[in-house]
Amino acid sequence: MSYRWVIIMVLTGVVLLAALLLLPKRKAAEQGRVVSVSEALGGTPDTGFARAAAPRRFTFPADHGPHPGFRTEWWYFTGNLNTVQGQRFGYQLTFFRVALTPEPIARGSRWGANEVFMAHFAVTDLAGKRFHYAERFSRAALGLASAGGSPLAVRLEDWSASETAAEPWSMQLVARDGDLAVDFQLRSIKAVVLNGEGGLSRKGSEPGNASYYYSLPRMETSGTIRIGRETFNVSGLSWLDREWSTSALEADQEGWDWFALQLDDGRDLMFYRLRRSDGSAGPFSSGTLVAVDGTSRHLAREAVQLTINDWWTSPASGCRYPSRWRLRVPAEGLDLEIVPRLADQELRASVRYWEGAVTVKGIPAGSTGGSGYVEMTGYRAAEKKGSDRRP
Amino acid sequence: MILWRAGLRTILRHPWQTVLAVIGVALGVGVVTAVDLANESATRAFRIAAETVAGRATHQVVGGPTGLSDELYRTFRVIHGMRRNAPVVEGYVQVVGRAGTTLRLIGIDPFAEPPIRAFSSQFSSGKVLEALMAVPNSGMLLQQTAGRLGLAEGETFSVEVQGRVQQLSLAGFLETGDELTRLGLDAVLVTDLATAQELLAMEGRLSRIDFVIPEGAAGAQTVAKIHALLPPGAALVPAGSRAGALDQMTRAFRLNLTALSLLALVVGMFLIYNTTVFSVVRRRRLIGMLRALGVTRREIFTLICAEAFLIGLVGTGAGLLFGLFLGEELTRLVTRTISDLYFVLEVRSVPLLPLTLIKGVLLGVGATLAAAFPPALEATGAPPRAVLSRSIIEARRRKNVPLAALAGLLSMVAGGGLLLVEAGGINGSFAGLFAIIIGYALLIPGAIVLLSHVFRPVLAALLGVLGKMAARGVVVSLSRTGVATAALVVAVSATIGVGIMVDSFRQTVDRWLESWLRADIYVTTVGTGTGRNKPPLDPALVERLTRVEGAEEFSLTRRVSIESAGGPTDLFAMEMPRSTFVGYRFKEGTPEEAWASFASGQSVIVSEPYSFRHRLHRGDRVTLRTVRGEREFPVSGVFYDYGSDAGVISISRASYLRYWDDPSIDGMGFYARQGVTSAGLAAQIREIGGGSRLSVISNRELRHASMAVFERTFAITGVLRLLTMVVAFVGILSALMAMQVERARELAVLRAIGLTPRQAWGLICGETALIGTIAGLLSIPLGILQAFVLIHVVNRRSFGWTMELAIDPALLLQAVVLSLAAALLAGVYPALAIARTSPALALKEEE
Repeated sequence: MSYRWVIIMVLTGVVLLAALLLLPKRKAAEQGRVVSVSEALGGTPDTGFARAAAPRRFTFPADHGPHPGFRTEWWYFTGNLNTVQGQRFGYQLTFFRVALTPEPIARGSRWGANEVFMAHFAVTDLAGKRFHYAERFSRAALGLASAGGSPLAVRLEDWSASETAAEPWSMQLVARDGDLAVDFQLRSIKAVVLNGEGGLSRKGSEPGNASYYYSLPRMETSGTIRIGRETFNVSGLSWLDREWSTSALEADQEGWDWFALQLDDGRDLMFYRLRRSDGSAGPFSSGTLVAVDGTSRHLAREAVQLTINDWWTSPASGCRYPSRWRLRVPAEGLDLEIVPRLADQELRASVRYWEGAVTVKGIPAGSTGGSGYVEMTGYRAAEKKGSDRRP
Repeated sequence: MILWRAGLRTILRHPWQTVLAVIGVALGVGVVTAVDLANESATRAFRIAAETVAGRATHQVVGGPTGLSDELYRTFRVIHGMRRNAPVVEGYVQVVGRAGTTLRLIGIDPFAEPPIRAFSSQFSSGKVLEALMAVPNSGMLLQQTAGRLGLAEGETFSVEVQGRVQQLSLAGFLETGDELTRLGLDAVLVTDLATAQELLAMEGRLSRIDFVIPEGAAGAQTVAKIHALLPPGAALVPAGSRAGALDQMTRAFRLNLTALSLLALVVGMFLIYNTTVFSVVRRRRLIGMLRALGVTRREIFTLICAEAFLIGLVGTGAGLLFGLFLGEELTRLVTRTISDLYFVLEVRSVPLLPLTLIKGVLLGVGATLAAAFPPALEATGAPPRAVLSRSIIEARRRKNVPLAALAGLLSMVAGGGLLLVEAGGINGSFAGLFAIIIGYALLIPGAIVLLSHVFRPVLAALLGVLGKMAARGVVVSLSRTGVATAALVVAVSATIGVGIMVDSFRQTVDRWLESWLRADIYVTTVGTGTGRNKPPLDPALVERLTRVEGAEEFSLTRRVSIESAGGPTDLFAMEMPRSTFVGYRFKEGTPEEAWASFASGQSVIVSEPYSFRHRLHRGDRVTLRTVRGEREFPVSGVFYDYGSDAGVISISRASYLRYWDDPSIDGMGFYARQGVTSAGLAAQIREIGGGSRLSVISNRELRHASMAVFERTFAITGVLRLLTMVVAFVGILSALMAMQVERARELAVLRAIGLTPRQAWGLICGETALIGTIAGLLSIPLGILQAFVLIHVVNRRSFGWTMELAIDPALLLQAVVLSLAAALLAGVYPALAIARTSPALALKEEE
């Protein structure tokens, strides 16, 4: 073959190739970090919303219902239940109301909404060593999600908490997800407890960085848990936390650890530690101790000594959580060891946190113990910095 | 090797022929590539958009003409706890100030989206989601789309929705991970469901509910559960079926374009064949000598094929570039046609698809090699001595003429047979058409011999001895003139065939419009140009308009589309005077017979394409999903309709009201009272309409507008026809020019024995003119035959339309003039050359 022939072939090839390469190629647009629909809630300016600035008068049953002027509000049910045979369960059913604007917007479509609801539902099956949780979102429109009414009903699609009696205040909780379903009757056996200063719970130094916070610490609970084809008749105690606010964690606050303990001697203890970046308890950490007769006492940070005795690292998220505590309230003669009933009760929902059933053992052994729920937020994976956000 | 150099020198020494051959290949490949590109881009854009928007949905619950009640969604979600579903409100908006920018509006509930779609459940920040939900009239676009519209985050822009201009604000950008999704979302505007309902005036309604249903027993259970909950007007359909049905709708249209592009390639192939034959024939002496000197057949064969390969390669490369360039334009035309006729489609990018590229290369190089094969075989097959003598070849050619004619006849008969087989479908009809074309081409050498005899006296009378010589020359050099003429005939006939088809179609549509549009004035909402379904008119206004003084009578219409698993069905509800109805042209039954049962709502009439597609005839029954469940309606007639190739079912308004509960009206027609002019009536209507945004147009204007849409639809056909004409022109030019250049020696001899330059001109032009005339004449019957097949077989099978063949003599004349002009032009260069050079020099010229 003559060289000229080769050159022509090569040239033709080069021309064709060049033509192909020179064709405009779309440059991939740079993609920033993307948040999912659920993560996207919150973190927006709170202008125009009401703030928990001063103590207020609580009136019931009205205050069981929603407080639309505030940005965030929740109905937080947790409880420890067991069957007659002694099979133990923990549960959590939480409804969050998040307002997008302080005022409702008038719109032609019924889908127009200025409020969004989020709900978390979790069951800890201790015999099955299984922790199941689910998360839902919906807008407060078209009956998809709502809170209010008399009697009160809070619902998100087919999950609901509805008032069944006013005195004593009773509720029915219904939720299901996949092969899991619960149906509980709750009856409060203690009156409403106002936390903080008469219900104003300060979370930071900035005025208004606080919430209105009350609890129904002891609600007798009975009902059914269905897991797959099995249905368990259960009974036990539930705890309802109600809180509404328009506030945020302050700069040096990393998260919180919250304890709601129901002691065998009839007392109930709530304590939250606002955790600082160095792991210490922030100055606004506080608690409430409720006596058997329902009278309550505010516990300042200094009144409670909390030490962590063990840690657990979530294999799924890599987050390291405390997994054994010693909690002392010397003035009240309380010395308690708190142990999760199951290590992995981490909700890897849009907001990642640990919320689980715990056993309370009295120290020395034989003294008053109990059961309860612990919530831990703001813990991060050891290596990578996550972007956890509180609810 | 010396042999290769010889080959190369041949190419370089005859640059004109080489260039023309390359142009031939390039045009052929370019047209095929461009059409393929346009088709693929349109299909791809549609498919990707459909898939992106459908997301992971496996099923959809669809409703009647007005969609679904949003209560149904609440029932699924709240009462029955069904989770993996999402409501969708869908429509189209047009960006104001950006003619032709249509965005597909998708209204969603971001919280229901995650199991179905990612792009509508991911946000760059909470602010975006919040704005989307809480700020009315806010939406999201892709960053690239916003960039194209010159929009930044937070800015507002105007869109026209159903005749109203609305302000939208850009809440943020759609977040998508991959290129494909971005492609699918290029013309998509995502809003919250509330905003979409408000924009589209669909408060309380949903377009559909998307479902993700697993396969297997659990899925079957879910399906059964959904079925039990569906109201009568709703249906559960597989998600893919709707997109598939829409895709299918345009298949015939796309196939027709492909066939037209192949026609250009066939013409291109003739061109290549012609060029190669020439390059071989011209070098017979050289090849003979080389063979005599000991060069093997294989070497000669390889040489010829390599030359063809090179031409093919360069031509293909140029063709691909041309195709890319042309593809952009064709894509625009294809998209516009699809938007006009089928559904709104936006194609932004015309990507170079590897498959298209491979197809183009294979076609170009393959066709070139295939065309070079016969002459290469011929050159190497004969013994050296025979190769040296041209007269042997010519003699053999002439002996072969009856044989070729016979083969041609057989091929035509076979093609005709193929056309008769109904089961062959569109592909079969195109195969038949091509067989007929090839067969006809084989008949051409015979026809040349015959026609030359016929024309000899004419030429003799005009040019004397020279004329006779020219006529003889055509026959004597049949090996060259035969192919050239055949190429010419095929090319010219294609332009005739397609031309007649479009003319016939135009005439048919014009006549149909005359019978279809009877009212003097038509009123609709000012609507977006593309949507077939117009938004309804204000009921109070309709009420006022029915009392307009100047109108004797009026008609009310509503066109909706009913979704079903088999795709959408167009339903046309009408109430009109009997006189209008009886003016309709029916294919089966008569309007007079059908009127009574149609008007009372007992029967429906279907359009011809609908009847064709669904094999539905008068007396059959058609099942429609109404809001009262499925209902059967007898078909009392089949009417001609050229408005939609998917077909339409016409039903009386009485019946539509009864079965679909939709009292809305989207079109009104008014018949002027005696003594009232159409303009006067229009003025009265406008006055009643007051400030409402109404489109009031006269019969004449509407017909004009309809014809404009028709012309737009056929714009692409026109472009392809023009391209085929260019290919044909280049083909003629190159074939005839090559022939004359190659005759330089012969002409030099003639010049040496006393032929004046003037006479040389006469001889050359006489010969080319003869070929041009013969080709022009021969292309007429083939062109008419093609038109006949296109109209009565291809179009009927593709679209189900009946058309009347209308032959415009001007079109035929144009074809003859085209071929004559090209032929004469082809004679100019050789004649000039021969007249200028001295005979002695030309004689010395090596072959």
